[in-house]
Amino acid sequence: MSLNSSSRSATSNSNSKRSVTSNSNSNPSTSGNNSCRNNDKRNRKRKTDQNQKTLGMAWGANSRSSSRSAFRNSPFPDFGSYMVMKNQKLHQQFDADASSSSVSGACSGKPIFDGVSIFVDGYTVPSSQELKGYMLKYGGRFENYFSRHHVTHIICSNLPDSKIKNLRSFSGGLPVVKPTWVLESVAANKLLSWIPYQLDQLASETKKQPKLSAFGFKSGPVLDDLEESISGQAVPQSGIATLRTSCSLEANIFGKAECTEEVEECHSVSDDPFHPNAAESADQAPTYCMENHCEVELDAAVVVQSDAGYHSHISPCQDPKSDHNDCLEDHIIEESSSSKTIRPSTTGHSTLSDANFVENYFKFSRLHFIGTWRNRYRKRFLSSANGFKDMNPSRNAFATSQKTTIIHVDMDCFFVSVVIRKHSDLKDKPVAVCHSDNSRGTAEISSANYPARNHGVKAGMFIRDAKALCPQLVILPYNFDAYEEVADQFYDILHKHCNKVQAVSCDEAFIDVTDLRVEDPELFARAIRTEIHETTGCTASAGIAGSMLMARVATRIAKPDGLCYIPSEKVDDYLHELPVKALPGIGHVLEEKLKKKQINTCGQLRLISKESLQKDFGVKTGDMLWNFSRGIDNRLVGVFQESKSIGADVNWGVRFNDLNDMKDFLLKLCKEVSLRLQGCGLKGRTITLKIKKRRSDAGEPVKYMGCGDCENLSRSVTLPMATDDVDVFQRITAQLFGYFHIDARDIRGAGLQASKLESADRNMRGHEKYSIRSWLVSSPARKSSMAKGKGDQLYSDIGPPVQARGSFSGGEAYVAHRATLPALHDLDVGVIESLPPEVLSEINDLYAGELISFISKKKEKNAGNNVMDEEQSLSNPLVPPNKDFVHNVAEKIKSSEKEDEQYINKMIQGLPETSGSVTALLPETDSLMPSSLSQVDSSVLQQLPEELLADVLESLPAHRRPDFMSNDVYLDHIRDQTGAIDFLPSNNLWVGNPPRWVDNFRLSSCQLLNRIAVLYNKSSPRGQFSSVLQLIMSEYPLDDGGDDAVNCLCELMKQYIKLKIETDVEEIYTCSCLLRRLTSRSELFLQVYNCIIPHLQAAVGETYGGDLNICFIE
Amino acid sequence: MERKDNNQAKAPQGEAARILTEFLEVAISCIIFLKGVYPHGAFERRRYMNVVVHRARHPQLRDYIHSSVNGLLPFIQKGLVERVVVIFFDNEDFPIERFVFKVNLNLSYGSKVEQSDLEFSLRSFLIKLPVSESLTKLLPRGCRWEITAYFRALPEASTSKDSELIWIPTDTKQWQQPPLITPIKSMNSEPLGVQLYLEHPSLSEPKP
Repeated sequence: MSLNSSSRSATSNSNSKRSVTSNSNSNPSTSGNNSCRNNDKRNRKRKTDQNQKTLGMAWGANSRSSSRSAFRNSPFPDFGSYMVMKNQKLHQQFDADASSSSVSGACSGKPIFDGVSIFVDGYTVPSSQELKGYMLKYGGRFENYFSRHHVTHIICSNLPDSKIKNLRSFSGGLPVVKPTWVLESVAANKLLSWIPYQLDQLASETKKQPKLSAFGFKSGPVLDDLEESISGQAVPQSGIATLRTSCSLEANIFGKAECTEEVEECHSVSDDPFHPNAAESADQAPTYCMENHCEVELDAAVVVQSDAGYHSHISPCQDPKSDHNDCLEDHIIEESSSSKTIRPSTTGHSTLSDANFVENYFKFSRLHFIGTWRNRYRKRFLSSANGFKDMNPSRNAFATSQKTTIIHVDMDCFFVSVVIRKHSDLKDKPVAVCHSDNSRGTAEISSANYPARNHGVKAGMFIRDAKALCPQLVILPYNFDAYEEVADQFYDILHKHCNKVQAVSCDEAFIDVTDLRVEDPELFARAIRTEIHETTGCTASAGIAGSMLMARVATRIAKPDGLCYIPSEKVDDYLHELPVKALPGIGHVLEEKLKKKQINTCGQLRLISKESLQKDFGVKTGDMLWNFSRGIDNRLVGVFQESKSIGADVNWGVRFNDLNDMKDFLLKLCKEVSLRLQGCGLKGRTITLKIKKRRSDAGEPVKYMGCGDCENLSRSVTLPMATDDVDVFQRITAQLFGYFHIDARDIRGAGLQASKLESADRNMRGHEKYSIRSWLVSSPARKSSMAKGKGDQLYSDIGPPVQARGSFSGGEAYVAHRATLPALHDLDVGVIESLPPEVLSEINDLYAGELISFISKKKEKNAGNNVMDEEQSLSNPLVPPNKDFVHNVAEKIKSSEKEDEQYINKMIQGLPETSGSVTALLPETDSLMPSSLSQVDSSVLQQLPEELLADVLESLPAHRRPDFMSNDVYLDHIRDQTGAIDFLPSNNLWVGNPPRWVDNFRLSSCQLLNRIAVLYNKSSPRGQFSSVLQLIMSEYPLDDGGDDAVNCLCELMKQYIKLKIETDVEEIYTCSCLLRRLTSRSELFLQVYNCIIPHLQAAVGETYGGDLNICFIE
Repeated sequence: MERKDNNQAKAPQGEAARILTEFLEVAISCIIFLKGVYPHGAFERRRYMNVVVHRARHPQLRDYIHSSVNGLLPFIQKGLVERVVVIFFDNEDFPIERFVFKVNLNLSYGSKVEQSDLEFSLRSFLIKLPVSESLTKLLPRGCRWEITAYFRALPEASTSKDSELIWIPTDTKQWQQPPLITPIKSMNSEPLGVQLYLEHPSLSEPKP
C-alpha cells in the first residue's frame, strides 16, 4: 500500500465528498489496486467484509497534504492505520473517563444509554461536549468519528440540504435525532424511543405521503448490507405490501399508525402507543434501537408484536392487521392495570405506623389548605384576573390624575367563624380550631375567635395551655370543605363588585375601587360587608385608604367586624403610634434590629434619614422602611402572584426506624409534589430536598411527635429538563438524600420542593413558538383569503366602473363612496370606453342615461387638461354598488391610462396633509377602514410614508394583508397596456414585502433589472440586498442595461444605504464589496458603483465619523 | 465565562444590558487574544454561548477587562453608552487600530428579553471575530491597549453606588483625519443593537 496510490484515489474521488463517504471506496488500504471504473461493484463486496470504515478516514484521506507531510516520518504506514490507532486510543480514553464518572448502579440497575453510541454532527444545543458528558455519565458511548458499525444514533440539530437529500449516504440509515432525546432520556432515567425526537427536517419529510421508493430503498438496518444488496428485486414487492398494511392499520384503534414496515416499527408503536409520530419514520429505525428497547422493557407484548411485525415483512401477502390490534390492545390493558394503585387506608399518627401518612398529613393540614387554595383560586378566577390585566394601561394613565381608593377586606377569625357559622349557640362562646381535641395534648391551636382571644388564647398555643387559660374553651376540628365554600363565596362577592381584586389569602383580599368612581367608599365597603355576612354567615372587616399599606392598617383598627376609613390627611396620625412590627415586610429579625436602635413605632422610624436607613439595612429595605413609615406605598393592586416554587414539607410525626422507611416516605413525598405540580400545570427544573435532623443533644421534643430542635439541611439539583414525573423525582431525591449521610432515626422532617417552574404546556411545545413552523401553519388561511381576493377581482370585471380616486383624500370621503354610486365626474372615461358595450349600457342604466353624454363631454375636457372639474359633479343616489368594486376598477382605470399613474403620484405627493388625515382618523374609526385590502389602491399605500403605512396596515384586517401588492392581475394589466413602465424614482422603494422595487424591476424593459427582481425572490435571507448581489455574482453573462438601469440601481442602493446605515453597516459594507467585485464583470455595475460610493461615504461619515474602507475605481 | 446573577437586572433593558456586558467582556478578551498583544499562552480556551473563546489567564488582565466592562453596566442600562472601543496604540500614544462596539439599547422596549434570542445574534460576533484577523493590522512591538467608552451625554453626578468606580480620561491621541471603517459584524434585534467595526487611520493621516 503506497502513499501515492492513496492520494490518487483521493483525487479521483475528491470532486464529490459525499460520494466518498457513502458508497465509494475511501480506504487506501484496498483502493490502490482497483480502478475507479469498477468502484461500484467492489463496494458491494467490501461492505460485507470491511468493518473499520469510518467517515473520519474518508475525510482524512481526502486531504492530500496531511497524508503526505504528516506521515512521512510517522510510525504509521498510512493514514488509514493512523485513524485506526486514533480511534482505538479515543475509545480507551473514553472508557477511562467513563469508569471514573459514571453514576454508580445504586439507583439504576443498568445505565440508561447502555449500548447507545452517538455521533454528534455539527452545532448542537447542548454542545457536543455536554452530550459526551451525559454519555459518559449514563453508560453510553461517544464517537468522535462516524462509523456505521460503531455509531447507533446521530445527534444533530440541523442538517444542510445536501445531507437531507442524500440522507442515506450521510447517516448510513442510522437514526438522526435531536439532542433533546438525550436530555429527556436522562431526565426520564430510561432510554426513550428516539422516534419523537427525530430531526424535524426528516420528520416532516416522512410525514408527507410515503413514496413507493421510500419503502424499498430506505429500508432500515435490520436488513443488513448483504440483504440490501440482494433485495433489488424483492423491494418493489414488499413496498406494495407495506402500503397495504398501512392502509389497514389506519383503521385500527389508534388511527395513528400510518405505515408499518419493519420489526422495530411495530415495536415503536408498542413502545409508546400514544405518540402520533411513532410509526412514521421507521424506515430509519436501527437494529440497535430494537435491541435496546427489548432489553429495557422485555414484556410479552413487545415480543409478540415484533414477531408479528417481522412476519408481515417476510410474507407480504398476509394481512397482519389482526395481530397488530391484538398486541396493541394487550399492551394497553397491561399498562392501565399497572397504573391503577389501590391502597388500603389506615390511620395512624406517625410515619412509623401509618402507611399513608403523607397523604393524611396533608389532608389534615391547614397550611396545606391555604397553600393549595391559591391554585384553586387561580383556576376559578383566572379569567377575570386576565380581564383586569388588560385594563392595566388605562389604569396607569389615570392613576396619577385620580386619587386611588383601596379597600382591604379580611374575614374575622376565618377558620373559627366558618366552622361555627351554623351554630348560633357557639357565637359568643370561646371557640378554637385545632386538629385534635385532646385537652391535654400538644396540638397547636390554629385559630381562636374573639371571645377566646379575650381569655388570652392565641393561635399557635398548645391546647393544654389554652385550656388552662380558658377551661370552657370549645375545640372544634377543621372543616376544609366549608372553608373552600366560604372562600369561594367571599371571592364571588368581591369579583362581582369590583374587577380589580388581589387575593392575599383565602380570607383576605385587596380591591381597588378607584376606577369605579364610588361616591362614598365607606358605603360601598359596608355593602360588601353586609353581603358577605348575609351570604356566608361570617363577618368581615374592611379598611379603606389610599394605598394597600394604609388599607391594611385600617383593617387592623377596624377588627373585629368593623370598618375603618383613613383619609390621606389622617395617615400621619394613624401611623405615628403604630408599632413597626405592624408594617408588612418587617419580621422578627428586622424588628429586633430596629429595637436595638430604639425604634418601636413608625413615628420614631420617620426621624431617620433615608440614607442612613439604606446604609443600615441595604438599599431596598431602607427604601421600604422609609416609604412605609410615611404611609407611602406604591404597590398597585395587582394580579395574582405566580408561585415560584411548589413543594411539600412534613415536619410533624416524622420518625423512621431505618433507611427503607425513609425511602418509602420520600417516594410519597415525591408523589405528592408531582401531583401538586400537575395540578398547577407546571414543571420544575430545580429539585430541593430539605431534611430536618435532630440535634445530637436534643431530646424528645415537648410537642408530641414534633420536630424539636433541629438542624436544617438542604441540597438541590438542577435538571436539564423541567419535569413533573414521579420517577424522576424519586431518583433525584434518592440521590440527594444519599449526599446527607444521615441516620434515619435522626430525621425529624423532610421537604421536597420544585422550583424554576415552567409551564408544562410550554414545555411540551419546546421552542416551537419561535420556530418558523408556527408561521407556516397559518398559511392555508392566507391562501384562502388570497383566493377570495381573486374572486373579487373577477367579479369586478363585470361591475360598474367606479373611479375610486376620491377615496384617496381620506376615510370620510371613502365612506361616502361606499354608500352611493360615485359621482359621474369621478369616472374615468378611458376605462368606460374600453368596456364591452353591453357592460357600458348596463352602467349607463345605473346612471339613468347620464353616462353617455358625460363621456362625450369628458373627452373634450381631457383634450385640454387632466384636472377634474368640480362643477361637473352630479349627485346620483342610486343603488349601492358592491363595495369591492371600488378599488379593482380603479386599477383598471389606471392601467388604461398611461399618464394616470403619474397623475396619482403627483396627486399624492401634492397632498401630504390629506394623507396625514388618514392616520388621524384611524384610531377611532376602525369601521371606516375598508374590510379588505383589495379595496385599497396599493399604489396609494406604497406612496405613504413608511410609518404611516405600518399604521394603516395594522388597522386593516390581518388576514387580508397578503393580498397587498401581490396583485399579479394588476401588474399584468399595466404591462399589457404600457409595454414597459418607466421606473419612477420614489422615496419608498424598500417599503413593503416584497419591497416596491421588486415589482418595478420586474416590469422594467431592461432584462438585467428583470433578472434582479427574480433573484430577489430566490435570495435568502429575504430582504437583504447583499444576498441578491451574491446571486447576481453567479449569473452570467451579465448584459448591460443602459442609463435607465444604472439610475434605477443607483437609486435603489441609495435608499438601501439610507435604510440600513444606522443599524447594519455590515450589510452595507458587504453590498459595496460585492458591487465592487461585480464591476469587473460589467460596465453597468462599474457605473453604479462609482455613482453610489460618494453617497455611501457621505452617509457613513455622517453616522460613524469615518470613511468606509473601500475605494473608488477608475 | 461565569454567568453572574445580577439582581438589578430585572427590567428588560437591565437584562439586555447584563447580557451585553457579559458579552463585551468575552468579546474584548477575544480581541486581545486575536491581536496577540500577549503571548498565546496567556489565554485559555473556554466555551461561551457554545462557541470556543479565549479568556485571559492572568488575574490582573482578566480583572481589568472585567471591572471596566462591568463598571459600564449602570451606564449601559441608562442608555448612556454609545460606543465601547478597544484601542491599540503605540508607545507614543498614537492609536493604530480601534475595535468599536457601537451599542444601541432601546430603552422603551417593553417586553421580556429572551436571553437565547440575544445569544443567537451575539454568538455570531464571536464566530466572526477570529476570521476577521485578515482585516486587522499587524501591531508593531511595544504596543499597548485600553478600553475606552464613549457616552452620549455626560453621566449625572454618580450616586453612592457607582462612586467607587474611577473613570480616568484617556491619554490616547486622536486622529486628525476621519478614520477608515471596516465593518466586522452587525446585529439589530430588539431591544439591543450592536455593531462591531474596525477603525484605522486614514491614508492621509499625518504620521507622528
